[in-house]
Amino acid sequence: MSVVKTNNKDKFLNKIANSLGRERKTEGVARPKWKHQPQYEVFKGMNQDELLEQLVEQCDRIHTTAKVTKLENLPNVLKEVIDELGGKSIVNWKDPRFDEYNLNDIFEEFSNEEGNEFHVWDSTMFEENMKIAERANIGITFSDMTLAESGTVVLLSDKGKGRSVSLLPATHVAIIPKSTIVPRMSQAARKLHEMAQKGNVPSCVNFISGPSNSADIELNLVVGVHGPIKATYIIVEDK
Amino acid sequence: MKVSLFLTCLADVVYPASVGKSTVEILERFGCEVDFPKKQTCCGQPAFNSGYHRETKDVAKHMINVFKDAEYVVSPSGSCTTMLHEYPHLFEDDPEWKQKAEELKNKSFELTQFLVDVLNVKDVNAKLNAKATYHTSCHMTRLLGVTEAPMTLLKNVEGLQFTELPHKEQCCGFGGTFSVKMVPISEQMVNEKVQHIEDTDSEVLIGADLGCLMNIGGRINRQGKPIKVMHIAEVLNSR
Amino acid sequence: MAIKTGDENFFTRVDKGINNEFMRKAVATAQGRIDGRRRDSISSLGDWEEWRNHAEEIRQHTLENLDFYLEQLAENVEKRGGKIFFAETAEEANEYIKNVVSSKNAKKIIKSKSMVTEEISMNQALESIGCDVVESDLGEWILQLDDHDPPSHIVVPALHKNREQIRETFEDKRGYKKTSNPEEMALFAREQLRKDFLEAEVGITGCNFAVAESGSISLVTNEGNARMATTIPKTQITVMGMERIVPTWEELDVLVSMLARSAVGQKLTSYVTGLTGPKDEGDVDGPEEFHLVVVDNGRSKILGTQFQSALQCIRCAACINVCPVYRHIGGHSYGSIYPGPIGAVLNPLLGDYDEWKELPYASTLCSACTDVCPVKIPLHNLLIEHRRMMVEQEGKAPFAEKLAMKGYAFAASSPSIYNMGTKTAPSVMGPYSNNGFITNGPGPVKLWTDIRDLPELSKGKDKFRTWFENRDKGGN
Repeated sequence: MSVVKTNNKDKFLNKIANSLGRERKTEGVARPKWKHQPQYEVFKGMNQDELLEQLVEQCDRIHTTAKVTKLENLPNVLKEVIDELGGKSIVNWKDPRFDEYNLNDIFEEFSNEEGNEFHVWDSTMFEENMKIAERANIGITFSDMTLAESGTVVLLSDKGKGRSVSLLPATHVAIIPKSTIVPRMSQAARKLHEMAQKGNVPSCVNFISGPSNSADIELNLVVGVHGPIKATYIIVEDK
Repeated sequence: MKVSLFLTCLADVVYPASVGKSTVEILERFGCEVDFPKKQTCCGQPAFNSGYHRETKDVAKHMINVFKDAEYVVSPSGSCTTMLHEYPHLFEDDPEWKQKAEELKNKSFELTQFLVDVLNVKDVNAKLNAKATYHTSCHMTRLLGVTEAPMTLLKNVEGLQFTELPHKEQCCGFGGTFSVKMVPISEQMVNEKVQHIEDTDSEVLIGADLGCLMNIGGRINRQGKPIKVMHIAEVLNSR
Repeated sequence: MAIKTGDENFFTRVDKGINNEFMRKAVATAQGRIDGRRRDSISSLGDWEEWRNHAEEIRQHTLENLDFYLEQLAENVEKRGGKIFFAETAEEANEYIKNVVSSKNAKKIIKSKSMVTEEISMNQALESIGCDVVESDLGEWILQLDDHDPPSHIVVPALHKNREQIRETFEDKRGYKKTSNPEEMALFAREQLRKDFLEAEVGITGCNFAVAESGSISLVTNEGNARMATTIPKTQITVMGMERIVPTWEELDVLVSMLARSAVGQKLTSYVTGLTGPKDEGDVDGPEEFHLVVVDNGRSKILGTQFQSALQCIRCAACINVCPVYRHIGGHSYGSIYPGPIGAVLNPLLGDYDEWKELPYASTLCSACTDVCPVKIPLHNLLIEHRRMMVEQEGKAPFAEKLAMKGYAFAASSPSIYNMGTKTAPSVMGPYSNNGFITNGPGPVKLWTDIRDLPELSKGKDKFRTWFENRDKGGN
């Protein structure tokens, strides 16, 4: 078997430069000052309450249940949501926010119930995590950034924040601190641009807007294909 | 105000005097002094759209000369006016002719566009007792950007019972040489168009481009449907 | 699959398309629905023309500096522990991909939707070394099960199939026993493909846009299949057309926002995933190895020409969804994995005029495509430009047409000839007249009168010129 020794880069890029009728550019290119920047006009000047309203409205369009709660009532609402989704098995991110938002008790209670399975993402268990996620009924994550316009939760991967938790279980619950809501993808992109400049973009950034769906059969919308079949957002007033 | 009529080859060669005559009479009614430069021919579109750009340049130069001294050039065709507006692109490498082409472009108008935008006329005091619909031609709406003017004028025609054509943005299937090069496709397109016209229950189909009208009208005639085809100039000159 | 999907003659394909009643109904409904949704979704964005202008300036700047941004991409991919390979041809790309797959001893490959892998016939290349390549996009999976039926649309590949045909395919190939209800069938696909996802050693994806500043790739889907293919298998290979790149995440935002709206009328698709290198240290899921294959396959010969703007394309299919020609003939008539207006522009560029000579003429130049294109590709102008190339550079125009056009131009630039012609034409046509119309004309007129009547040409005192002259003389 032949082993590829070169990535063929110079030949390839020289050809492009040649087609463009100039010398190869290896430095000195900067983004121009764009003449048009309409993206920052969307929802401009809205306060958190107005953004929240937009978010909730959008959830309706993307087949996503949205619940808004005060901090003190969050455990009750979460419990309610777990029941509504049929309980049984939960997989959570290993995320300090569960503790900060006083949610440990309800998970303890849940795991004490007979027949229930509860798992917190544990990087020392390697692939076992994915097997558990695959058979779980509910995956619960926090939103790192939330986009009002499109009803999107942005999840940044990390050791404790496995990609599978929002993907493999039958349902996905995202807890959204109200302060994370921004108008649209542009604000999140700016933040990621800043991270990129420092070289620390996470290996996986997921923009998730509701449950998975497809319209591939006669253009009929089917909700729930490879990813979760249901999605619930719980938006919580910050502590 | 002095206006030079660009009749277009279809109105010149194929159709009887009515379209040109109506155009002249309407313009005169609103105080224009209309002349008809006899040496005018065709806008060159058949050659241009078929890729014969060298040949088109010859035609364009001739037309530029014909209308050299005109104050305004007005034409009862959205598509042919669009072609006059295309001339500057033909002479990208020829600054002298490009300049002349720009001059012609800047003084060329489609009839309804001229009436509404230049003469500021909204009502031509026309009268026509008929149920009618209007075919918006592609070049006039999308390329020349004239969408409101014909509607403004038709709205004020006394006795006209107007129904908007469903799917009016869809091409009728003329497309110049397309109509003879791609006969089977053109047939399907014009059939659908005729069906939409029938759905409006109109007695009269109005249009601002004889190319489209020749296509749709030819199909209506072949199918023996009781729908009359009129150029918008004829409608606006009905009293 | 390669770009070309069959050897049939263009007009034979068109004939089949026109006579396929289900397909035509499906396409008409789909066009109405998707374009309706597109219109709704752009209305909430504010000034859409500003968005188009911005998208255009981003795409133009990126293409003008493509070598720079690809180099930046390569550096950042490597910095994050990924491998990048530049493939000038389909063969080079497939060779590299086969090498990676063989080095993993992989037998099962899961794929998420990718046009460029279709273009280079990657599946066949991998199958030739004994791999089982499974498409995971629902539409693509249906087509794959149905003995590799070609796609007819770049976003909704199985648009031409109805639910009953799909049910039959599922039953024949996978023993499906339930009804043709789309939800039941989608659930069946979920169960079937779950196994494939869990077993696959390698996941292969396309790439909607790469981000140069961080060496990232992005994937835009609704089904979640691209996430599955990049979460479970240990090796990820991403294949991208070399033009599918943006400078930074800020431009990614603009193009993804416009892609989702233009393609499916959504503000964002359910999943937009940005992936940078293989998984980070300590991560559990995600690939251990990440390979990015950048494919030229004919694109560089488009750069620097009058067709460069065609490379601005973000594969949203908005042009296809408004095209009146596509509406009646369907995707298969184009004979390419790239149908519709963008296909008519791209195929002769990626291939040649001999192979694709009819496509530039399969348009009325109604410019509906140009109007909806989110990145402002002047599609109908490029079609005219193709025609010009065939006439002027390639000498491919039919002799009779050339003669006719020369004659036309001669007449239209010399008024005396023009006038003489217009005077004699009616008498030439006279014998064909019937009640004021010509119903069965001679020569090229016959093609016209095959399906419609032609007005009898005006003559003598009926003509405008006669009227105007008499009037000048004081008559009326």
